[in-house]
Amino acid sequence: MINTSPFIHDNNSVQKLMFKVQLALLPALIVHVYFFGYGIVIQWLLGLITFLIVESIMLKLRNRPVLPFISDLTAVITISGIAFCIPPNSSWWLIVTAVSFALIFGKHLYGGMGYNPFNPAMLGYAFILISFPVEITQWSLPIAISGQELTFINTLQLIFTGNIPNINIDQITGATPLNSMKTGLTTGTTILQTLNLPIFDNNLPYAWTQINIAFILGGLWLLFTRAINWQYPIGFLGTIALLATIFHYIDPHTYAPASVHLFSGGIMLAAFFIITDPVTSSTTPKGKLVFAIGIGCLVYIIRNWGAFPDGISFAVLLLNMCVPFIDQYTAPRVVGYKK
Amino acid sequence: MLDWILKLISLIYPMAKRGLKKFNGGIFPKSHKDLSNHHPIVKTIMPKELALPLKQHIGIAVEPLVVVGEKVLKNQLIANTEDTSLHAPIHAPTSGTISAIEQRQLPHSSGLTGLCIIITTDGLELEIENALKIPNKVPTEPNTLKNIIYKAGIVGMGGAGFPTFAKIPNEKNKVKTIIINGAECEPFITCDDLIMQTYAKQIISGANIVANALGCNKIICGIEDNKQQAIKKMRQAVNNEKITIKSIPTIYPIGGEKQLIQEILGIEIPAGSHALNSGILVMNVSTVRAIYQAVIEGKPLTSRIVTISGTGLKKPYNTEAMLGTAFIDLIKFAKPKMKLNYRLIQGGPMMGFEVQTNQVPITKTTNCILANTPQKKTATMPCIRCGECMDACPINLLPQQLYWYSKSQEFEKTEKLNLFDCIECGCCSYVCPSNIPLVQYYRFAKAEVKKNKSEQKATSLAKLRYENKLARQEKLKVEKANRLKAKKEAIKQKSLADKDKNITATSSTPPMSAREKALAAAKKRTQQANQITPDKASPAKATPTKAATTAIAAAKKRAALKKIKQQTPNKDTIEDSKPDNRKKAIEAEKKRAALIKTKKSQE
Ligand code: SF4
Ligand code: SF4
Repeated sequence: MINTSPFIHDNNSVQKLMFKVQLALLPALIVHVYFFGYGIVIQWLLGLITFLIVESIMLKLRNRPVLPFISDLTAVITISGIAFCIPPNSSWWLIVTAVSFALIFGKHLYGGMGYNPFNPAMLGYAFILISFPVEITQWSLPIAISGQELTFINTLQLIFTGNIPNINIDQITGATPLNSMKTGLTTGTTILQTLNLPIFDNNLPYAWTQINIAFILGGLWLLFTRAINWQYPIGFLGTIALLATIFHYIDPHTYAPASVHLFSGGIMLAAFFIITDPVTSSTTPKGKLVFAIGIGCLVYIIRNWGAFPDGISFAVLLLNMCVPFIDQYTAPRVVGYKK
Repeated sequence: MLDWILKLISLIYPMAKRGLKKFNGGIFPKSHKDLSNHHPIVKTIMPKELALPLKQHIGIAVEPLVVVGEKVLKNQLIANTEDTSLHAPIHAPTSGTISAIEQRQLPHSSGLTGLCIIITTDGLELEIENALKIPNKVPTEPNTLKNIIYKAGIVGMGGAGFPTFAKIPNEKNKVKTIIINGAECEPFITCDDLIMQTYAKQIISGANIVANALGCNKIICGIEDNKQQAIKKMRQAVNNEKITIKSIPTIYPIGGEKQLIQEILGIEIPAGSHALNSGILVMNVSTVRAIYQAVIEGKPLTSRIVTISGTGLKKPYNTEAMLGTAFIDLIKFAKPKMKLNYRLIQGGPMMGFEVQTNQVPITKTTNCILANTPQKKTATMPCIRCGECMDACPINLLPQQLYWYSKSQEFEKTEKLNLFDCIECGCCSYVCPSNIPLVQYYRFAKAEVKKNKSEQKATSLAKLRYENKLARQEKLKVEKANRLKAKKEAIKQKSLADKDKNITATSSTPPMSAREKALAAAKKRTQQANQITPDKASPAKATPTKAATTAIAAAKKRAALKKIKQQTPNKDTIEDSKPDNRKKAIEAEKKRAALIKTKKSQE
């Protein structure tokens, strides 16, 4: 084949891009370990092993070269996404199931990286969320609240056997702030009362706020290095902030303030690391904004009126389905044409 | 003010520079211009042999006016054609002997060969003064100017090679703004930079000549702001207020015609339209200088400034090279770092192409020879839909979707996505993190679409021809039948008449007088005659013969064409088999048609 122009390239690569994203997750990981212990590290490693096995088998089955594709690092982002979403001390099979499902059904069955319509991490997470709702809501309490600092070995024991000698599991698990708000409302506790619980600190969800700030730091760096587009965080966070402010203003007893919404759950993870996945989101500049706003709306709706405490995964998957449609209607005006 | 802020931001966030210009997208490749822009233009190198292709321009090839063994002088007209299709004559770059007229490889991406006039130089530089026989006064009418430009063989020297005279309108005052393109946004190339630094006065007066002849009052010269020296020299050379030298941001591809217009005048040329319809004439600085040399010195276009650069050279330089000089002769002079076992690139790294052998000659459109040491290729990954390509595209296309449909060969969809507005600038490929050769796919898709179209046209033509033939046969049949019928009728009449006679003869009707008999006979005769004449005299009978003659003439013509084709097998067979060439051929055909029109009106 004739080698044609251009003969130069800006030296960017998928691998470099994904490496940057991984790097940007590091601050959040450290903060997570500080508040919740070593659980997430173990979960992440479990995910990595699952990925290596599943990916090699799938690539072999699909007759693809294993090395270049396994080293593109996109799957590692999927693992990180799932690891941050599940309870850090949950049983080992939870993440193994989620990662396997994400890689097999979310990626390879569609033809591999670049061809998958759904965000693999969110698909995997949604799968276990529906299949094992109890396990997913059993979150670990922050160390400072439970007063139990688990050693690495203890954590391993907990993840693989489900209990640790001499420690009552109920002591170290509890509901997430989002969950407490939701259950609180059903039992007649107002939001303002829930905000007085120990898992809140200065009206902000304790531990979660710090982790979310760490996500923001990493995200800003990604924005700066052009690894992600501004449309995602701006559209997504802007929508949630706006909706939360409006509803909180109307009825502060039922609707949490914007600050609680923005700093609880995986909002910042979603804003900078999940919905920014290029493969499954819109490609046009305007489309990206529409996509992000759509997810923002859905997340707020599910949080307040849905059956699940947090709805990021469902919101993302739903908008993934709309992408071809969004792309079609947001195509930019070609130079020299009237529209 | 805004520019200033953006520049400040760009110190820490380089992409902020994208906000500095008026068109969409753009990229900032490393310019590498400092490799070759410090040294003055090197004096012409005298090679032993020059190979001048008969087609160095868009249009049809010219025909040699010299024979092997003939001695030629510098600036002597050696090839032209009577044909009115678009073309540009060719002159001898130096004195010497015609040693051959033969097929040689051309600087072309697919290694096309073409007829070349080979001159063995004698090194004496015996010259014809005022070869173009220009009058003493500068042209004041577009047609006079066009004539000189045509005779000088000047073509667009920025790379396109469209004969310049055909770009200029016949009417005065049609052009409102002349834009001189000194952007030179491709990395490595510095020939325009050097021309502006060295020949600023010639460029300015060349621009004035064109403006005067066309009755235009506004000349704007756009130069990228990384060529401060050139901007300074050009500003110093400006001698009237018609001309403005505009410093424009350094962003690839700001030197593209439509991008430059967008940047300088802030207007978009509607798709499918030409800049001239908006009253704009864009010319490259080298072209303007060539016009100056033709109009003032009577010199035809026989040499041009070429950049010889690249990471594989120790001493990159610019030189005024004679047309026909082999690439390799010029490269040797630049001291290659390693053996030249790789292919050279004609043009810049963004839009140039690899030549198939390094022996190919410099033509009127060769602005740069690039010797970049080969690099290991990074593997292509699947598209991750990141949209970087879209952000970089100056035309605002959807490169990722174009790629998708080109790959799956859904060509109608690519056309709907405005494939043909793609200028093949390469920005999308440059930024693609998956390393997909996007432009390669678009070239392929364009060639396929054109091929399909021409095939469609051919089949519809054939169909038409067939239908015509059927109609003709039908007509002939009907005519034959008519004739037969007429004949039969006539015979019937005759026999009837004979019967009549018999009857008359035997009947008891009173016998007719001789006069009456004669009258009746005459009547019958006329009757018979009448029945025959419509057939004989009808034009219908004449048509088939006429059709036959035209058919014969057409057949003859076809045969003649075939003969010609057979005589020049290389050119045509290759053009038929390579989509790339076919594309060019079609383009040329179109332009030719347009040109015939302009030329006719001009004459
Ligand atoms: S830049 Fe490359 S990977 Fe990104 S969307 Fe365009 S074609 Fe796909
Ligand atoms: S090559 Fe075509 S599609 Fe790619 S950036 Fe240039 S104009 Fe756009």
